[in-house]
Amino acid sequence: MKLRNVSAVALAATAALGMAACSGSSSETPSGGSDDKSFEFWSFTGINAKGSAEEYKKIRPDVQIKLTEVGNAQETAQALTTALAGGKVPDLVLIQGDDLPKFVQQPQNFVDLRTMGADKIKGDYLDWVISQSTTKDGAIIGIPTDVGGMAIAYRTDLFKKAGLPTDREEVGKLWPTWDAFIETGKKYTAATGKAFVDNAGGSIYSQVVNQGDQKYYDPAGSLVYEQSPQVKTAFDLALKAVAAGITAKQSTFTEGWSAAMKRGDFAAIAAPVWMLGSIRDNAPDTKGNWDIATIPGGSGNWGGSFLAIPKGAKNPKAAWDYIAATQSPQGQLDHFAQARSLPSTPSVYQDPKLTSVKDPFFSGAPIGTIYTNSLLGLKPFLIGPDSTTIGIEFTNAIANVEQGKGDPAKAWDAAVTNIKTAIGG
Amino acid sequence: MTTSISATKAGLPPAPPAETARRRFTEIVAPYAYIAPFFVLFAVFGLIPLLFTFYVALFDWNPIGEHVFVGLDNFSRLVGDVRFWNAARNTVSIWLLSTVPQLLVALVLAHLLNHVRLRLALFFRMTMLVPYITSVAATAIVFAQMFDRDYGLLNWLLGLVGFEHIDFTQSVAGSHVLIAVMVTWRWFGYTTLLYLASLQAVPRAIYEAAAVDGAGNVRQFLHISLPALRPVIVFTIVTSTIGGLQIFTEALLLNRGAANTCGPIRQCQTLTLFLFEQGFIQFKFGYAAAIGVALFVMVVALAGLNYFLSTRIRPVKG
Repeated sequence: MKLRNVSAVALAATAALGMAACSGSSSETPSGGSDDKSFEFWSFTGINAKGSAEEYKKIRPDVQIKLTEVGNAQETAQALTTALAGGKVPDLVLIQGDDLPKFVQQPQNFVDLRTMGADKIKGDYLDWVISQSTTKDGAIIGIPTDVGGMAIAYRTDLFKKAGLPTDREEVGKLWPTWDAFIETGKKYTAATGKAFVDNAGGSIYSQVVNQGDQKYYDPAGSLVYEQSPQVKTAFDLALKAVAAGITAKQSTFTEGWSAAMKRGDFAAIAAPVWMLGSIRDNAPDTKGNWDIATIPGGSGNWGGSFLAIPKGAKNPKAAWDYIAATQSPQGQLDHFAQARSLPSTPSVYQDPKLTSVKDPFFSGAPIGTIYTNSLLGLKPFLIGPDSTTIGIEFTNAIANVEQGKGDPAKAWDAAVTNIKTAIGG
Repeated sequence: MTTSISATKAGLPPAPPAETARRRFTEIVAPYAYIAPFFVLFAVFGLIPLLFTFYVALFDWNPIGEHVFVGLDNFSRLVGDVRFWNAARNTVSIWLLSTVPQLLVALVLAHLLNHVRLRLALFFRMTMLVPYITSVAATAIVFAQMFDRDYGLLNWLLGLVGFEHIDFTQSVAGSHVLIAVMVTWRWFGYTTLLYLASLQAVPRAIYEAAAVDGAGNVRQFLHISLPALRPVIVFTIVTSTIGGLQIFTEALLLNRGAANTCGPIRQCQTLTLFLFEQGFIQFKFGYAAAIGVALFVMVVALAGLNYFLSTRIRPVKG
C-alpha cells in the first residue's frame, strides 16, 4: 500500500516536471496588462538607470516602470538577443552604439518608431547619430539617448613636474595634430622617465579612426577597411606612439590600468565623455589633479546609446511615452545636468544649463562646452555589422606590438588576415 | 527481489488475483518511477539541447534572423580555421599543465595526510577544500593581480631579487602556466580528499606489517597506497579530462583588455571561450554549435583513451 502511494507520487511528480518543462516558455502571466500605464525596461548597470526612472515618475506618477539592470552594455545586448530569439522581450531596451548594427540588420525584431511618431522628432537629433539607427528602408528602430564627444584628460600636477604647460587652453595648443601629441609625449617621457598615455589602441587608434568621414564601410555598405585612409593613418599613428615608448602598455579597464591611473604612471588619457566617470571612480584620490583639453584634430565621437522597442513588446505605447518625454532636447538637457551624459540634440548645445556645467574633479573644466564642440562639424560614416569585430582585430594587432610580442612591420598584414578569418570574407 | 518478496508472501493466505496483478504491476513500474526524475531532467536539460546543438551546427543560424541550411559547411570551415586549431592546442596544453601536476600533488599529499601523524589533521584536511569552495571568478581576479606585469606581488618579489618582470598574461607559455596554476589550486584539495577517503579504507595493519618487513615510506606508497587507489585514480583522470577540456572562466578573466580571446593574439583562448566568442559575441550560433560538437567529440575520445590507458596499467608486483 505504502509502496504504491509513493510510486504514484513519484509518477505524478515526473509528469508535472515534464509538463512544467513544456509549458515554461508559453506561460504568460498578465502582469499589469497592456494598459499603457506600465512597461518593462532593460538598461545597463553603472549608468544610474534607477535615477532616470525616478525622474520620469515625477512627470508621470501614474506609470509603473519595471526596471531591470541587466548587466554591462554587451551583456544587455546578449540578453536582448536571447530574448528576441525566443523569450519574453521587454517593452523598452537600451542598446549601445557598438552593438546596434547587428540589430539594425534585423529590423523585423523591432517596432519601426516612425509608426509611433519618430519621423516628427527625428530632426531634433544629430543627423549622423540617428542615421545609425535608421535602416536602408528608412525605418527608425532607435532614438539616440546620448553621444560620446571626445577630449583628452590630463594630470596638471604631472604636466607641471615635466615642465609642460598646465592651462587647458595652452595644453590644447600643444597638440593641434596627433603627431604633435606624440611629440609632446616624447618630451614628457624624456623629462620624467614615465609613460605619457595609457595605451596606443584605446587612446590613439580608437580616437583617430573615429575622426574621419569613412571608417570600415563605404556609404553603400561595402567593406573598405583595407583602403580607408583614416584607418591606415590611425593604425600608423598608434604604432608610432608605441615606437616612441610613450605608452604605459595598460589595456583599458584592466586591473593594471586602474593601478597605473591611481599611481600617476601615465599623465594623459583619451577621454570620451563617458570615461570621466571611470576616472572619478578608479582614482578618487586624484581629484583636482586632472583637467580636460581638446583632442588633436578637434573633433570626434566614440560611443552613445539608443532606446528601442522590441516588436513583441506588450506596452509599446507606454515605452514610447517614456522615450518622447525623456529624450526630447529638454529632457536630455536636464539629464546632462544630473548624470553627465552628453545630449544627442544639438539645439541645446548653446543652452546656459549645458555651457555652465563645470566639473570640480577636473579642475572646473567646462565639460559641456568642451565636449559639444568636439561634435560640431562631424560627418556621418556608416557603421556596419562587422565594425566591432574589425575594430577589435586592429586594436589587438596594435596591443601585440605594444606588449613587445609582434613585429610592427607585419602588424597591419596580420590584422587584415585576422579580420578576413573573423568575418569569413 | 522477487524471490524475497514471494518468500515473505508464502506464509500469508493467497491474495485475490486482481490485487496480485496490480501489486505486481506496481512493483515493476515503481523502480522506474523513482529514477525517472533524473532521466526526465537529463532529457530536458541535457539530451535535447545536445541533439539540438547537432541540428543547429548544420545551419548558418542567426538567433534573431534567418536560419539557412548549409549542411556540413560549418565543419569544413572549422577544419580550415586557424583560430580553431589554436584554441584546440591551447586547451590541450592547459589541460596537461593543470591535470598532471594536480594529480601527482594530490597523490603525495593524500599519502602523507593518511600516514604521517599530524596535529590538527582535520584542520589541514578541511583547509584544502577552501580553494574548491571559493568562487572561480574571485580566484581568477586575485591570481591575475598577483601575476600582474607591473604591480603584481610575484613580479615585485622578482624585482627585489633583481630579475626582469615577467609578463605572464601576454605570452603563450606564461598565460598557460598561469591558468594551469589557477586550475590546480582550485582542484588539488578536492582530489586529495578523494584519494584520502579511499586510502582510509586500507587497513592500518597492512602498513604496519610492511613497516615491520622493512618497507620505507616510498615503498609503502608504491606498493600499498597506489594499488589501493587505482579505481579512484581512474575516476579522477576521467573527470579531470572532462573538466580540463572545458576550462572557461579562468581564461575569460585573465586578459580583461581582450577578454573574449584571452589576449590580443588569442594566446590562451580555450575551445569553450572560442565557442562563447563565436556564439554570444559574434552571434554565429551555427558555427558555435559546430565548435561544441567538435569539443564533444574531443572530450569523449580523450576520456575514453584515458580510461583505456589507466585501467590497463597494472601496478608493479613485487
